[in-house]
Amino acid sequence: MNAVLHLAAVSRVHGQGATEVHALRSVTFRARPGELVAVMGPSGSGKSTLLTLAGGLDAPTSGSVWIEGTDLASLDNAGRARIRRTSVGYVFQDFNLIPALTAAENVALPRELDGEKSKIARRLALVALEEVGIVDLVDRFPDEMSGGQQQRVAIARAIVGERRLILADEPTGALDTDTGEEILRLLRARCDAGAAGVMVTHEARHAAWADRVVFLRDGVIVDETGADEPETLLAGETR
Amino acid sequence: MTGWRPALLIAWRDALRHKGRSVLVLVMISLPVLAVSAAAVVIKTGEVSGIEGAERRLGAADARILTEGRGRIVQAPDVSNGEWSFIGEADYDNPATEDDVRGVLGADTRLLPITSGWSRARLGDRVIDFSTTGVDLSDPLTRGLFDLETGHLPQAPGEVVVNDAMITKGFAVGDELEVGGTTLTITGGGRDATDRTQPIVIGSVEDLVDESTNRREWLVDAGGPVSWSTVQELNEIGGVVTSRAVLADPPDVASMAEQMGYDTGQDEIFAIVALIVVMALIEVVLLAGPAFAVGARRHARTLALIAASGGTPAQSRRVILGSGVVLGLVASGIGLVLGIVAGWALLPLVQRFNGEWFGPFELPWLYLLAIVAFGLLSALLASAVPAWLASRQDVVAVLAGRRGDRSPRASTPVVGLVLLGVGIAASAYGAVTSDSGNGALWIAGSAVVSVLGMILVVPVVVSAVARVSGRLPLTARYAARDAARHRTRTVPAVAAVAATVAGVVALGIANASDERQNEMTYTPQAQMGAGFISWGPDLLPGEELADAATTWTRLEEVARAAAPGVEVTAVQGLNDVYDPNGYTTTFIEPARGMQDTCCLSVYGPTVTVADSAADLGITGATAEVVDRTLAAGRAIVFTGSLDGETEATVRRETWRPNSDESDVETTPGVAAQLVRWDPADSSPAPTSAILPTALADELGLDVTTVSLRLTGDLDEASETRIREDVRGAVDGTYLYVERGYERPDEAVIILLVLGALGGVLMLGGTLTATFLALSDAKPDLATLSAVGAAPRARRRVAAAYALVIGVVGAILGAGVGFIPGIAISRPLTAGSGSNSAAPDGPFLAIPWLLIITIVVALPLLTAAVVGLTARSRLPLVARLD
Repeated sequence: MNAVLHLAAVSRVHGQGATEVHALRSVTFRARPGELVAVMGPSGSGKSTLLTLAGGLDAPTSGSVWIEGTDLASLDNAGRARIRRTSVGYVFQDFNLIPALTAAENVALPRELDGEKSKIARRLALVALEEVGIVDLVDRFPDEMSGGQQQRVAIARAIVGERRLILADEPTGALDTDTGEEILRLLRARCDAGAAGVMVTHEARHAAWADRVVFLRDGVIVDETGADEPETLLAGETR
Repeated sequence: MTGWRPALLIAWRDALRHKGRSVLVLVMISLPVLAVSAAAVVIKTGEVSGIEGAERRLGAADARILTEGRGRIVQAPDVSNGEWSFIGEADYDNPATEDDVRGVLGADTRLLPITSGWSRARLGDRVIDFSTTGVDLSDPLTRGLFDLETGHLPQAPGEVVVNDAMITKGFAVGDELEVGGTTLTITGGGRDATDRTQPIVIGSVEDLVDESTNRREWLVDAGGPVSWSTVQELNEIGGVVTSRAVLADPPDVASMAEQMGYDTGQDEIFAIVALIVVMALIEVVLLAGPAFAVGARRHARTLALIAASGGTPAQSRRVILGSGVVLGLVASGIGLVLGIVAGWALLPLVQRFNGEWFGPFELPWLYLLAIVAFGLLSALLASAVPAWLASRQDVVAVLAGRRGDRSPRASTPVVGLVLLGVGIAASAYGAVTSDSGNGALWIAGSAVVSVLGMILVVPVVVSAVARVSGRLPLTARYAARDAARHRTRTVPAVAAVAATVAGVVALGIANASDERQNEMTYTPQAQMGAGFISWGPDLLPGEELADAATTWTRLEEVARAAAPGVEVTAVQGLNDVYDPNGYTTTFIEPARGMQDTCCLSVYGPTVTVADSAADLGITGATAEVVDRTLAAGRAIVFTGSLDGETEATVRRETWRPNSDESDVETTPGVAAQLVRWDPADSSPAPTSAILPTALADELGLDVTTVSLRLTGDLDEASETRIREDVRGAVDGTYLYVERGYERPDEAVIILLVLGALGGVLMLGGTLTATFLALSDAKPDLATLSAVGAAPRARRRVAAAYALVIGVVGAILGAGVGFIPGIAISRPLTAGSGSNSAAPDGPFLAIPWLLIITIVVALPLLTAAVVGLTARSRLPLVARLD
């Protein structure tokens, strides 16, 4: 099966000369449909850089990034923005919802930015919100929701409009354990439904939800393992 | 002070760290400080008051004494602005003499007579007016009155020196001048101590006499200072004294106005100045406000931590107020220094527009201090509201990372609406009572109240706009909602725009109404599109008037040659050319009892001689009556209101020089027809009365050409050509072409300046708020980028933000501006009630074009500017590690 996301020998160097930092060194990495990949590693290992490169928010110093068969280097800024509206969904640790917009408007944002009519964008947003189970909160502003609810909205925004790559950066970092588990279950469900997911985390317990775990250290993939079935792992844990 | 130390330190470091925001505040505050302090320096330097003016008025003398009559004088220590007056009866025929003055000052006092007058002399075909001073310039007492630059001082009778202005007019050293029948020779030129552009001639007292025979003035060598008590003694005998000692150390006496017991208008001037200062303060505070609001938000977390660790609200406040103190002081300092430099640099330029020489460079420290205090106060006020809000912030919410302002208090807009109501009421009161004096003051005061009320309403309006923004496109919706969420930043910006617009709209309405009045009360001097040439040369006594017949023939030829498409018709009549050797004035007098209804006052000749209406350009129904009457050999007298028959006489009064009585010639009464000239008719009557040629001959009147009527293709090019040609051919010609009311350039310039000033302030307010909003919105923009917003989204958000601020501010401001605008138009254009024919005031005109430009076009333009100048790169999401 073709990979949704393919990083080929990607390097990213920040700064120059004495302040030069190699955030990623020749990383090759794939995420296929239906697959949730966890990226783990200590602080400064390059986890977040990998996600920003994967979404086309930043460009690699060398190597190439392919999303659904398109080389991001062949696109201009606007083209990469379009990819983020149509193919890639981001989920952040601190939710990053726009406080001035309601839940539905936040979710509809990528579709509206893509030029969709407000009404249609809202309908799609409602579908996505239904999927994450908070369709009753559509007209609330982020301030008026709990952290877990906000992250559900963020996930809805990442999946709205049938996008096939979800990039999640510590999605449970700001949530309590139970809520975090709910969010992970949601991500897992999206991947089972055919999307590819890449999730940065530093908790091994969360990595257990992934099909595969990639370990990064100093910008290099040091280990790559398949994971056991998450439900069986969970079953063995005492809560 | 210890409580302030940490706050000021934080503020100082913060100002250095956030350079962009600091520069913004510095510019907003230092610019007005700069402008006003530069103006203060220029005005104070230009003003020659007190001891500064001593030398140019006294020379080296101890005092200068003027007397115009015998009586008691009340005077101010400095009489240069005419601050003196007789109290009670004065004997003008018998003013104090030298002996009287010596009686007060001592017998050994030396008095040097000095005279002032006015005269005119011919230079080629021009007549130059100049003032004259008679004084012995060789006397050391006059040192400083005149600086000789070329030639020599007068040494013999008949010799004079002139100032540079006379030389510029065309006179030269060695030339002769005819003044009052005496021939004077210019022996030198130089710089008069006071007058720069007014031509002045200085010679002996005998050659240049005083303007009135009973006026006496002396420069005084009293052998020592002339004290205030001596001045008062001289006042007793009618002397008006300028004393060097008194100027140097003026006594603390009540002002002239108080001594004389009349109203100075000082209170009103003070009130107006206070209102202007308050308005400027409001504008500056509003413009600088958003920067402090954003600064306060950036400090929110710090302040929350301070509060969490036991800090009091006062301590939180001080951190934000500290920014106000630091930035206010720095901005005022910069503005002051630059203002002084700018004032100094502007002096030569301003001097060129001023007829009197400026005094020495002067720094009015008291005023400058007040201006610095203004700068500091505006910064403090701008930081006051953010500081107050910061001290009341929800610590838990801030520490939890939630953003946004508290919802507005319900009472605030109510207070705002009450103030707006008070403003409207005060305006109305001012407009109604405008006839009795200080209505304008009421209206100006009400403008301030209205603007303050409006500021309090702005938060509600901004929230309302956010609530109805659901249907707007994404970027506009985002901008409107974000503006409402961050009200402390948005409200001052919107209010600044609104206050600016209110000012421009109010002044615009005042200006347009004024123009409307000018237009409605305009009196044309000829038929629309037609013109006339008249002739009235400037003659000095003894000069001969050129032969009228030859001159008119020449003028006619020149005018025809200059513009072949223009018809030139000579109008015949009785000539009233001014001639100082004896001049004649013509009157038409209908029969007794008719005087009230007669006659029409006209711009043209009083009595014309013609045989048809066409000769005078009279058309329509009136032409028929005129033709019929003239054919019947009867005279015509135009009236304002009634037709009928009467008997009229032509009276000519001839005035000879040095004669109080005129020679009067009256014709016998002739049959005359009164013809009503319709005042609604746009063209004015060409003359008061018409005599048929035969009748004029019969009466033995001296009929000549009195003017040339121009009709036909009289466009502006041919007008200019004719004017230049006839002026070159004959001295003293005047060409007038009626083009109806034309708006003077000044009115247009005022409108343009208003529009430009409004535009600049609006752009400033909008740009400030927009870019501060953009920097605040960084996380949102990063999120937008992450979910796939194209790079230009940032520009769209910026433009939408500018549009929200601009449109809301402009609409609010325009609304508020109507209140004082309409009110002020009333006292401004109230009719005098004297002229019955012209429509009477008050007039009201709304400059819709200006208002639409400001409410619609300017916000769009600002948004476009913002959209084009905003960076299009979206920021990157940074994860909080």
